[in-house]
Amino acid sequence: MADINGSMSANKFDLPVDSEHKAKTLKILSFKQPHMRSFHLAWISFFTCFISTFAAAPLVPIIRDNLNLTRSDIGNAGVASVSGSIASRLIMGVICDLIAPRYGCAFLNLLTAPVVFSVAFISSAQGYIAVRFMIGFSLATFVSCQYWTSVMFTSSIIGTVNGVAGGWGDMGGGVTQLLMPFLFHMITTYGGATPFTAWRIAFFIPGWLHIIIGVMVLALGQDFPDGNLGALQKSGDVAKDKFSKVLKHAVTNYRTWVFFLLYGFSMGVELCINNVIAEYFYDRFNLKLHTAGIIAATFGMANFAARPLGGYASDVASRKFGMRGRLWVLWIVQTLGGVFCIWLGRANSLSVAIASMILFSIGAQAACGATYGIIPFVSRRSLGLISGLTGAGGNFGGGLTQLIFFSTTRFSTASGLTYMGAMAVACTIPVAVVHFPQWGSMFLPPSKKGGGCTEESYYSSEWNEEERMKGLHHGSVKFAENSRSERGSRHEIAAAVTPPGYNSTPAHVV
Amino acid sequence: MAILQRFLLASVFVSCLVATCYGGVSFKSLHPTLTVTATHKEGVLKAGLDNITVTWALDPSAPAGTDASYKTIKVKLCYAPVSQVDRGWRKTKDDLTKDKTCSHKIVAKPYIAGGAVATATWTVQRDVPTAKYFVRAYAHNASDMEVAYGQTTSTEKKTNLFDIEAVTGRHVSLDIASICFSAFSVVSLFGFFFLERRKTRIAEAK
Repeated sequence: MADINGSMSANKFDLPVDSEHKAKTLKILSFKQPHMRSFHLAWISFFTCFISTFAAAPLVPIIRDNLNLTRSDIGNAGVASVSGSIASRLIMGVICDLIAPRYGCAFLNLLTAPVVFSVAFISSAQGYIAVRFMIGFSLATFVSCQYWTSVMFTSSIIGTVNGVAGGWGDMGGGVTQLLMPFLFHMITTYGGATPFTAWRIAFFIPGWLHIIIGVMVLALGQDFPDGNLGALQKSGDVAKDKFSKVLKHAVTNYRTWVFFLLYGFSMGVELCINNVIAEYFYDRFNLKLHTAGIIAATFGMANFAARPLGGYASDVASRKFGMRGRLWVLWIVQTLGGVFCIWLGRANSLSVAIASMILFSIGAQAACGATYGIIPFVSRRSLGLISGLTGAGGNFGGGLTQLIFFSTTRFSTASGLTYMGAMAVACTIPVAVVHFPQWGSMFLPPSKKGGGCTEESYYSSEWNEEERMKGLHHGSVKFAENSRSERGSRHEIAAAVTPPGYNSTPAHVV
Repeated sequence: MAILQRFLLASVFVSCLVATCYGGVSFKSLHPTLTVTATHKEGVLKAGLDNITVTWALDPSAPAGTDASYKTIKVKLCYAPVSQVDRGWRKTKDDLTKDKTCSHKIVAKPYIAGGAVATATWTVQRDVPTAKYFVRAYAHNASDMEVAYGQTTSTEKKTNLFDIEAVTGRHVSLDIASICFSAFSVVSLFGFFFLERRKTRIAEAK
């Protein structure tokens, strides 16, 4: 366990660390405290929530007969399952900023378990929609997962780390399409239960997973590289912040809203597809439900590699081109994702449809990874809330696209896919307006006014004079130092010197 | 003559392929030559509990030789139009390989020529959903293609429909298990929370 009394040498950590004690490498096969253990707990808890949120989708053919659902009921339940977390992701963002990720994550998992078990009681369409809505709240673990990895790993690899954690978590949406039918089959064949009971029993497994991971997070997890939040606040290493300030700095930063929109058309599109793709292949190409389920699972499982790929591409681009490279990578992959979605809608043969679906999944999921390669830099003070807002934007976009394109009979599902792809391409253009004064944007170089803007000036501007006098901004200044990697290789020479007035290393830290 | 025979054989072969290319038999092409009845108790039938007795026979007024190709009779439970509204997975389509109207099999028996009335009794299965139904029997030929049918309702499928009520799928044991595990989950969360609060308070007091 990390020593909380203050003599924290870098030797205590299993991995090489920076000045904030964030790890500089990712050692996937390790489970050691604090970095890798937190990494694994974070992504597994998020993975579990994805499993239970979409657990109903492959079982809909059974559930719709049990509960006498209509097409609109099924559509509404799909929208409900992703809308619940619009609010919960925001709240989780705040909790992470004020209370820290471990409790937020465990809290959500252990309170989602009862909701999952409550499927035993569902007897009507209203009950079904309500339960799916409440299970959907658990998707907020995305925010705690990304926040937790962002405080454990350093800026230069954050794209890759967030991409792997997010991607492996999102994979739950694909795994569930295989897991739930498998459990259902086992329970009906070997358990002898009738179909209308068996699907309810199948849900117990995701319920148990929630309990197991929730307990593990509490027992084995740690909030920050140096210890848990309670202990760190007492020793004065982490300042206690105020909600109103965190909110103000998140909401008044225009970049937050650009990413809110953008993420709606990478993650949002992905969530929407998780709900409609199996049925689309089943109906359009007359496949067996089992086969359609496997294809649907492939879409979700591509997250295993596609999202990390996006994060990694973002990191690689940033080595040479800095933040500008990250922005370009995001625009390229997200636009390509939209283009392949258009192609998927227009595909008339099964092989072309599968090929375009795979390319589309890679594009959209890489875009998700690339987005979270940029988010940790938008703000240091309000990291949690901005992560939450972006995540909420993803759900909002998902619910919106499901409602506009896949809940009416005005156009076919195929046309819906084409229009959704076109909308995604159009809504990715705003990434060009995101400008960091110290690093530039897609088309503009770093601002030159006032002798140049630095990372320190950007991140310290979130604290006012009074707060700076109290030294509350030191965490941000340390982060700013470490984020100089975002200048790219061309500006490395100027990077090493800390500008005057920003003495980041407080006296008492060795 | 030999050439003509070969040509005829080839065209028959090709037309068989064409038939399989274009999918299954068209329902509109079938004639209602079977008389089908279904008897059951009054009121709503309960899945898993109540029985339906079906009978089928060749319509006495059908011309002789109509049933020459009938090999098997498959009797099915079919959705009435009112239960198909807003439920695309129960849609009626003319192509019988794509038609989803009759998704529940009641019984399949070999066809016995001679005009006798065949019967079968069936307990409503536990996976039958709550809906309005009628019964239809298809006559299949040796290659298992539909060649004729008969149903208990009119052509518009509005008369002589009956209701089936599905099982709920709920069980008291499942409810109890659900409550127990949920309680365990909530207790673990608050247990850990208070335990940790106590630990930090003790550490503070030192």
